[in-house]
Amino acid sequence: MKKVKVSKALDAGITYAVLLAVSFVFFFPVLWLILASFSKSGSMYSFDGFFPKEYSFNAFRTLFTDTSMYNYPKWFFNTLFIAGFSCVFGTILVILTAYAMSRFKFKSRKALMKTTLVLGMFPSFMAMTAVYILMTQFGLINNRWGLILIYSAGAPMGYMVQKGFFDTISNSIDEAARIDGATSLTVFIKIILPLAAPMIVFTSLTAFAWPWSDFILPKLLLKEKDLYTVAVGLMSLGDEEFARFAAGSVFIAAPIIILYFCLVRFLIGGLSSGAVKE
Amino acid sequence: MKRLNLNAVFGAAAIVTTAGLWLVLSVVKDEYAAGLALFGGVGFWALFFALKAAVTRGLSRPNGAGRERAAGKRKPLFGGVKERARGIRAFFSECGGKVIASMSVMGLGQLLQKRWAKGAVYLIIQAGAAVFFVMRGAAMLAGLFTLGTVRGNAWYGVEGDNSVTMLIMGIFAVIVLIIYFALYAANVRDAFAAQKAIERGKEPPGIIQGLKNLIDAKFYKTALFIPIAGVCLFNVLPIIFMILVAFTNYGGAIVPPALVDWKGFESFAKILSLGEFAPTFVKILGWNVLWAVASTALGYFGGLGLALLFNKKCVKGKAFWRAFPILAYAVPGFISLLGFKFMFSAGGPINQMITKGGGATVLFLGLSSKWISRVIGLAVSAWISIPTSMLLATGILSNMNKDLYEAARIDGAGPLRQFVSLTLPFVLFATTPVLITSFIGNFNNFGIFFFLRGGFISEGYFLASDTDLLINWLYRLSIDNNYYSIGAAISLIIFIITSAVSLTVYVRSSSFKREDTYK
Repeated sequence: MKKVKVSKALDAGITYAVLLAVSFVFFFPVLWLILASFSKSGSMYSFDGFFPKEYSFNAFRTLFTDTSMYNYPKWFFNTLFIAGFSCVFGTILVILTAYAMSRFKFKSRKALMKTTLVLGMFPSFMAMTAVYILMTQFGLINNRWGLILIYSAGAPMGYMVQKGFFDTISNSIDEAARIDGATSLTVFIKIILPLAAPMIVFTSLTAFAWPWSDFILPKLLLKEKDLYTVAVGLMSLGDEEFARFAAGSVFIAAPIIILYFCLVRFLIGGLSSGAVKE
Repeated sequence: MKRLNLNAVFGAAAIVTTAGLWLVLSVVKDEYAAGLALFGGVGFWALFFALKAAVTRGLSRPNGAGRERAAGKRKPLFGGVKERARGIRAFFSECGGKVIASMSVMGLGQLLQKRWAKGAVYLIIQAGAAVFFVMRGAAMLAGLFTLGTVRGNAWYGVEGDNSVTMLIMGIFAVIVLIIYFALYAANVRDAFAAQKAIERGKEPPGIIQGLKNLIDAKFYKTALFIPIAGVCLFNVLPIIFMILVAFTNYGGAIVPPALVDWKGFESFAKILSLGEFAPTFVKILGWNVLWAVASTALGYFGGLGLALLFNKKCVKGKAFWRAFPILAYAVPGFISLLGFKFMFSAGGPINQMITKGGGATVLFLGLSSKWISRVIGLAVSAWISIPTSMLLATGILSNMNKDLYEAARIDGAGPLRQFVSLTLPFVLFATTPVLITSFIGNFNNFGIFFFLRGGFISEGYFLASDTDLLINWLYRLSIDNNYYSIGAAISLIIFIITSAVSLTVYVRSSSFKREDTYK
């Protein structure tokens, strides 16, 4: 009996040791960036090892006031503008696609599903040159709406998770409504959408996070400094501007981190419901 | 007898329209398009009337009807095909003059059937298509084949052809053409259905009914219209463009205003045969495969292990411990990558501690530290990807049947045995699709070495560093150095590898073979 107790205590001890180590590994780099953003001097060379010697709000102040070289407020507004609109349009399109693919057994449905699967296997920016040329044709280079167009148009490709969710909503609900004379449109708006609220939250979060942190497309399509997004702007900062980089990162990561923590329940549900249903 | 006359009249009308189209195109002086329209038009109508005559005669013969009845009995195997064949035969033998009118000019038949609104809509589509193809479309299609004939010369003020734009616009015209054909088929089908309804003495469905259908039984058409259009324009068209570019000589010195040409498999030969590209390609491919396998395994099993750790009974405050990986998950990827780059840079904190301890600066991500950089890359990728798979595994483990473990424990299975025989098969089963997507994602992980190292060119490599993946090399070749056709050929090779791997894994996996195991 005593032996069991000892091995149990040992097990718990090892478990907690591993937990501490894991938490340290994941937390330390984040803590490092947060503390660096409060350093008094901007350069990384003045740090004492990992952490700054003196703390102040200096970096945040210069981030928003010293805009001659690095116009962070403008970058931030651009990112917010692009991510916001892409999120709205992208979510609408994804939900519509998933609903149609889940509820209607039309003739070309299987073909469409296979096509999206194959399209998804092409390297994501293999087509970048073509997109660039296409955008010059439409006159949308150096235009934030061009990016919104691309993000929104690409969003329906990832409809699988949402389709899996709609598949789990029982058909008998729609059928009951249909007997009462409701059309598919009313069923969709009045019955399916309210039921799918958690999935809509998950979808809009992912649809927002992608343009919020993407750097490839903005780097390719927005050449003017005034149109930079935060991702492109932060890439142009060097060692000497480390505190500014850290402050900018903290400022852009904070809202999304808070969102993620509020919605972690939906995240787990969304990720696994897409996995189990194929 | 009367119907035959009508056929002849509309047949003549059809041939007149074809000739008219040919005439208009000849005036626009595009002999390719004009020739194509003439051949296509004459061929189409000749084939149609020949088939119609053949089918009508075949059906009127007594043994023809007998054959059909016999076929009706042996339905099971090719039921669908037979059904379709019978539908086509019925169409050819029964379609009247008004349907043929719709075939020669969209909407004409509907107007003759006195369905004004629908006829007008189809007529407008027909007119729009005609104007588009005469004004621009025909030239666009021809451009797809020639890729331009006049070289621009600013000196003499010659505005030449831009091959690349012509290629893209050619693909665009093909997509428009496909949409036009689909609408055309819908128009003919509609006219035929209306004819059948009239013959049976019923009212043919009007445009109001059609619109009502779009929000009810055919709501999927409304819902999918914009998504499909968007994906076609911004995904399919660019992908087709790159596939086609792989078979041209676009790139290097040959960029507009120089004229691009079709070259067949020349770019593939350049990559695979000896030359400047081949050795680099082989080296990068080997590392790329190793990287994809290692980083996927690391992220996947790391996440699974973490989820199991948090699930242990003795762990108190699960939400607290779980918060740390979620924090890492929520940090935007580019910030993590840039942060780690600063951490390992020559003046970074780790090096400061080394120099303070009396050591010499270590260039972790420098030009000469091939394997150190690779290992750091793997570690960073694990830091980023483990939380995602941890969340995923947590969700899946919570769906698992607890009774199984109880039963296993009673049978005397230890924790290890429980993991190997119960947990692992279930989780693998549930996550095979995710495993495949994460493998593809890692194979094409552009960000990691782009941010960590960027810009280096290693010895023995052509325009690449020794940590670059194929996708980085592709970027460097096509976006930075204009080797478009080579880049396109590489991306086709990447596509072939990733799709082959994921399809084999998927087909051999148990989640495909025994779909219902855990239902």
